[in-house]
Amino acid sequence: MNPRHLNARNMGIALAILALALPFVLEGNRFLAFVFGMVMINVLWASGMNLLYGYVGLMPLMFAGIAGIAAYAMIYLTRSFGWSFWLAMPAASFGAALIGVLLGLPSLRLKGFYFTLCSLVIQTVLTLAFIFFPHFTNGDTGLNQIAPPEWFNGAPLAGLWFDLVLAIFAVAGAAFCAWLVPTRLGQRFIAIREDDVLAAVLGINVVRNKIIAFFLVSLYAAVGGCFYATYVGFISPRAFDVLTSLNIWLFVAFGGRGTIIGPIIGAVILAPIPFLLQELQAFKDVLSGVLIIVVTLVLPGGIYGELLRRRALRRAAAQPQTGTTAAPRT
Amino acid sequence: MSDATLLILASTVSTGLILGAIFALVAAGVTIVYGCVWLPNASNGQFFLLAALAAWSLTGAGWGSALAIIAVLALGIVLSLLLEWVLIRRLYDVANRNVAYFVVTLGLTQIMSGIFSLTYGRWSDQFTLPPLVAGITMIGPFPLPNNRIAVLVIAFGVLAALFALLRYHRYGRALRAVFQNREAAALRGVDVRAIYKLSFLLGSSIIFLGGLLFALAYSFDLTVAWTMSVTAFAIMIVGGPGSVVGALAVGLVFGFTQAIVSIFASPTAATFSYLAAMLAILLFKPTGLFSK
Amino acid sequence: MSLLEVSALSKHFGGVIALKNVDVQMRAGETLGMIGPNGSGKTTFVNIVSGQLRADSGGMRFDGHDTLGRQPHELARLGLTRSYQAVRVFAGLSVQKNIDTACLLLAGEGLARAQLQELTEWLRLDLALDKSAGGLTLFEQRRLELLMRLAQRPKLIMLDEPVGGLAVTEVREMILLLQQLKARCSIFVIEHTMRVIRELADRVVVLMAGEKIADGPPAEILRDQRVIEHYLGTVHA
Repeated sequence: MNPRHLNARNMGIALAILALALPFVLEGNRFLAFVFGMVMINVLWASGMNLLYGYVGLMPLMFAGIAGIAAYAMIYLTRSFGWSFWLAMPAASFGAALIGVLLGLPSLRLKGFYFTLCSLVIQTVLTLAFIFFPHFTNGDTGLNQIAPPEWFNGAPLAGLWFDLVLAIFAVAGAAFCAWLVPTRLGQRFIAIREDDVLAAVLGINVVRNKIIAFFLVSLYAAVGGCFYATYVGFISPRAFDVLTSLNIWLFVAFGGRGTIIGPIIGAVILAPIPFLLQELQAFKDVLSGVLIIVVTLVLPGGIYGELLRRRALRRAAAQPQTGTTAAPRT
Repeated sequence: MSDATLLILASTVSTGLILGAIFALVAAGVTIVYGCVWLPNASNGQFFLLAALAAWSLTGAGWGSALAIIAVLALGIVLSLLLEWVLIRRLYDVANRNVAYFVVTLGLTQIMSGIFSLTYGRWSDQFTLPPLVAGITMIGPFPLPNNRIAVLVIAFGVLAALFALLRYHRYGRALRAVFQNREAAALRGVDVRAIYKLSFLLGSSIIFLGGLLFALAYSFDLTVAWTMSVTAFAIMIVGGPGSVVGALAVGLVFGFTQAIVSIFASPTAATFSYLAAMLAILLFKPTGLFSK
Repeated sequence: MSLLEVSALSKHFGGVIALKNVDVQMRAGETLGMIGPNGSGKTTFVNIVSGQLRADSGGMRFDGHDTLGRQPHELARLGLTRSYQAVRVFAGLSVQKNIDTACLLLAGEGLARAQLQELTEWLRLDLALDKSAGGLTLFEQRRLELLMRLAQRPKLIMLDEPVGGLAVTEVREMILLLQQLKARCSIFVIEHTMRVIRELADRVVVLMAGEKIADGPPAEILRDQRVIEHYLGTVHA
């Protein structure tokens, strides 16, 4: 077994155990527990964004818009039709994911900068729609007193148990990505990222696979959006605008795109910052901006990517060049 | 026609022309830099705003308008040089640098908007400059503030100069050569990196000038940065990336659209229509309306 | 049995005519060569037949299917594939991963492990499996390209200038490999020198400014007046 794979898997398991244990540890400190909960939501989001950005190679800036659609839809279902959260969340998420595919369809032929620009425009349109169609969204004023999900006995999910639920979803989300990448679908994604023309010549239906990727990514955005709304208790169009998408992108890029661990690290390090900088909100923007520039110019592989690269270099330098007759791998 | 109608008509036409010229200038700046260096500058609106704010600060501190204008332009050039030296030139040799540049300038946008919120955002909601020239002139039956006429003249003067530069001057020919084929231009002895640097300088300076002119003609708040960025990109895409003619033509059209829409609806509606136009072009004719 | 039938294929870019009423037929088991100076439309022809470009008019049948306008991935499924003039592999992935990706198409119905191993050894890539594809030499990359195509059990491989950029000894070896390749599938070779075509092709189609000016066995082509006049005079045969 390749020692590097052993390491990543162990790291993942360790992080998962940590995530599931922390809610119990942090029970006494509401503030830290809240930060933990927000980090879990952002880990879920980062894993989703990484699927498209790290593994297919496209930068979807309308990510937050999809999260918003799901959140508003879920609230509408629970408030106007009395649905339970556990029914409304899947329904709203599924619907939002379909919308995500629909909105992404026309831009399927676009690549690189044009795709990113198109995504940015769609995100801007969505934000404007959230603001100027107050019937569902209450416009810029936002919606507050959003009820948390219910427990089995009807009591509202709160505190420790809510944090645990969030941790479970975050771990499940990351685990799903880890499972997906080595499958045939995952390999097709990677082929598309590396060279989509060659992928097509080799028989890969690029359009269909991109649509699948859009759907999966939108699902992550949507589920995260529903949890965000109920966890924070208040949403407004500002919560789901370009800056949010850009921040989630930053978690992925800073942590390490195209790896499972990278986005988790990125979210864990960066997501708490706005909460620790409470009074200095605008500094958060400046810091984000600086990090975006630094990551793009200096750390294209992110922290984790850089770590892997150095480890590979050291290993190559240490070993003499020997040929190996490798048996064909499955 | 009543006096009120004449006033509205004169105001709309003059606004249409001024906005059109300013939009055209900024979009030309953005498209030159994109076409030449492959740099889509998402932060163009923030520089636009910076010029306006700098002019407000200087005139507020007692500087005369003419001196303030010169100082702001000088500031723009210095900042562009600095930015090119620190940031921009690092990506000249990267393949697919347009995405990287786009992301980097998005980061720059965040930094600048954050700084503006912390500073100017705390000092005032709206910013107004003293007029360049006082008084009103009657052009036929239409009353026009002299200030607007002055801005209009300067704006179109700069546009004409830009056009002449690109068409007749040696730099313009070098620029077109690089637009069309980088490697061929390099083989013909064009110093491509120097052209990149000059283009970035030229493009940024024009954007800065646009912001300055806007501040001289209108009151503004911090949101113009975002609006201008969106509009400039929309114009560039609709006109065709790299096409200065496209930027000019579409800029004027959008300027008039803005002026007319603002009469009976919120200016955001106009922005909405630019976004729709940009989306339509991206999806159906990505090379733009005026592509070569 | 006719494997490939292209009829009256035409394509223009703006004002430039790239292909004009080109007819090409090819039987299974046959090796067809296409030759012509730079700009004669050879690569355009391959791009259209392999689904990457849309023709303006004309028809195409492959293995009994009507295939004009079909996407590259659909053609791959039908057994038609191509290589590139400027070799194209997944430079960021390892050689093994490149091969794995090529094997995705056929999944369970693909080559058995032993067959794949045999191919890998035949193309002398068995010692390079862990290397990054981008770090291979040009010749190794061209062999990898071939391996990836063969892993998909194609009926027809279109080779666009397969010896471009190779050293003299490498060209020699590549021609040998391609001659052995003929046993596994039909080949369509595009080249702009007669030398490679002469050693490989059963039949040659000559393209000139987008039009087919000759079609026949290499020996016949070499004697054809029009070909000599327009083309061989300018090229080292």
